Amino acid sequence: MNPVGRGIRNAFRNGVRTGAIVIILGLSIGLSLTMLVAQRAVENKIKSVKSSIGNTITISPAGFTPGSDANNALTSDDLAKVQKLAHVTSVAETLTDRLPTTGSSAPTFGKFGTGSDGGSSTSLTSPITLNAHGGGMGGERFFISGGEGGSLPADFSLPVSFIGTNHPANLTTDYSATIARGAQISGTADSNNALISSQMAVKNNLKVGDTFTAYSAALTVAGIFNTDNQAAQDTVIVSLAALQRLSAQGGVVTSAVATIDSLDNLGNATSAVKSTLGSNADVVSAQEEADNTVAPLNSVKTVSTFSLVGAVVAGAVIILLVMVMVVRERKKEIGVVKAIGGSNLRIMGEFMVESLTLAVLGAVVGLLIGVVGGQPVTKMLVDNSTSNTTTSTQFQRPGGRTFAANAEPNGGFGGRFDAGLRRNSAVEGLRNVKAQIGPGLLLDGFGAAVLIAILGSALSAGLIAKVRPSTVMRAE
Amino acid sequence: MLEVKNLVKTFRSGDTTVIAANDISFSVPDGQFASVVGRSGSGKSTLLSLLGALDLPTSGSIVVGDRDITKMRDHELIGYRGRSIGFVFQSYNLVPNLTALENVMLPMEFAKTPKAERIKRGKSLLQEVGLQDDQMGRKPGRLSGGQQQRVAIARALANRPQLILADEPTGNLDATTGKMIFDLLHSLSRKEKTTIIVVTHDLEIAGKTDKTFHLDDGRLVSNNRS
Ligand SMILES: Nc1ncnc2c1ncn2[C@@H]1O[C@H](COP(=O)(O)OP(=O)(O)O)[C@@H](O)[C@H]1O
Ligand SMILES: [Mg+2]
Repeated sequence: MNPVGRGIRNAFRNGVRTGAIVIILGLSIGLSLTMLVAQRAVENKIKSVKSSIGNTITISPAGFTPGSDANNALTSDDLAKVQKLAHVTSVAETLTDRLPTTGSSAPTFGKFGTGSDGGSSTSLTSPITLNAHGGGMGGERFFISGGEGGSLPADFSLPVSFIGTNHPANLTTDYSATIARGAQISGTADSNNALISSQMAVKNNLKVGDTFTAYSAALTVAGIFNTDNQAAQDTVIVSLAALQRLSAQGGVVTSAVATIDSLDNLGNATSAVKSTLGSNADVVSAQEEADNTVAPLNSVKTVSTFSLVGAVVAGAVIILLVMVMVVRERKKEIGVVKAIGGSNLRIMGEFMVESLTLAVLGAVVGLLIGVVGGQPVTKMLVDNSTSNTTTSTQFQRPGGRTFAANAEPNGGFGGRFDAGLRRNSAVEGLRNVKAQIGPGLLLDGFGAAVLIAILGSALSAGLIAKVRPSTVMRAE
Repeated sequence: MLEVKNLVKTFRSGDTTVIAANDISFSVPDGQFASVVGRSGSGKSTLLSLLGALDLPTSGSIVVGDRDITKMRDHELIGYRGRSIGFVFQSYNLVPNLTALENVMLPMEFAKTPKAERIKRGKSLLQEVGLQDDQMGRKPGRLSGGQQQRVAIARALANRPQLILADEPTGNLDATTGKMIFDLLHSLSRKEKTTIIVVTHDLEIAGKTDKTFHLDDGRLVSNNRS
């Protein structure tokens, strides 16, 4: 019988007690593992959110308020300066506008209702209808948050969005749109070529090469794209220069996304852009945006980290108390072993094996708990913390163009190419945290058990060292 | 040769100081069988713990062979206890979770004896002390007092110690069993040429030993045959 064998055998001296200890330890280790699973899952999600958002900086006019005429404009000249900054590889500029369908009545909600030049209209009709959800005429279900609500006339149809961009490819990527017919337009040429969605094409009976009217000019359908993005379906994409000319907003840009050569330079580049544009613009780096997005997950991570540490400590305290009790109980026996030539280290080793045995058995029970509890606990923690923040996140974005994000899903009314909108979906995505329960968990469980056993035996080792061999001479 | 000189051991408990060994000097030649007698509390167990290096004296020296054990370092003391001393206690003090054979093998394991030899010697020692084969695999709880003390004697002999220290080895046994255990101790030490010091109340037993030390209140009052 070697010391390991003796240690293991000693763990089973008192079967009932061993059983009770193993169950309690199992609960504590199970909780540790559950928290570890949650923490890993959240950490992975944070990583993937951060890496998916990428190394970009979003620039929008400062204090942009929908419906206000006092908004600062961002200009292509400003952005040209940004383009010249170190580490900036490209600046995708966009100008958004919307036009009512010729002949339709429109409610008044400021700038967004009629477009900035007033009086302009388009021959296109939006493919998006208001009562698609079964609401009656007048669109009872239509919800405008943030705008001054107006009553909707009977012949109302949603305005059509126009977006001018110098990087049409970025835009179609944002939409997950694919060019189904025709070709991508050029972002640099000032031509009247336009991209429309297949829904728009069907609604207005248009095919590639057909023309339609907007801003009293004839625009040519150069390409038709497919997209599931509701917001994109009633949007016409033209080059930036074209929309600036057509809408008589020379040099004006409503938002821009600067791409930085590497994530490492993002912080510096963001400061540089901020100082270049001054108070003219709101500058938000993808980093900050990612940070805001994952903020609720970070709190989950904190909670799970504390619980993990707490559970490990609880397990260690359990073992500690048990081992102290056991050492006191076997004081005489320890004295005997010392009297017949056993060293402190040997005896401590035996007790260590005993506490390890208890901890490993606890880990087996804990592992079962971790496997069963990992996913539901992760989901619960993530759901709780993200649901509190989803709504507020929507309105955090400067520029307020998220204001329609609360509209009925089918409404697609309001801001489109907007990071805020994307972020909402990112927050939804956050809920989708997958707890991974793999073979790594076995190692973690074993690691936790070893850690708990070592921490828990520390005090008993001290007690063992203090047992004097002469205690064996005492009559009991 | 075991040589004890001016051995003093005091215990302090609260305000009172107990002098459990008061300037004790004596010697025991190798292979002798000596006994220690005295009233309860006279310091017999204290003397044995000092001789067995279970405790350190307040002053004085204990020379075993050519080494003063009171000057040994901790790891040397562990080695001394394990290899040079065999203990037999009144309450047997077997390790309850180990079988009789495992108890006998334990000191040999501490002395790094190879496993095969441990098993062989363990079994032959248990046979010598009169344990049946089927009792060797039993834990102490399933052995009688006399059988447990036989196992304890086998364990004390395991590493062929120079000195066996037995503290009232028959104190918990009935007279007949006690006598058998004493005779066993006696004959085995003769055979293995081991020095034995046995503490006893039984003057008849003490009368059979080569030398008897009388202790009274920590003092050695006579080392003659009584
Ligand atoms: N560890 C100790 N602490 C305090 N007093 C002790 C201790 N060990 C023994 N004594 C005291 O020393 C004296 C001798 O005890 P002991 O050697 O056990 O006597 P005996 O074995 O002859 O009955 C007693 O008065 C006892 O109370
Ligand atoms: Mg005594």
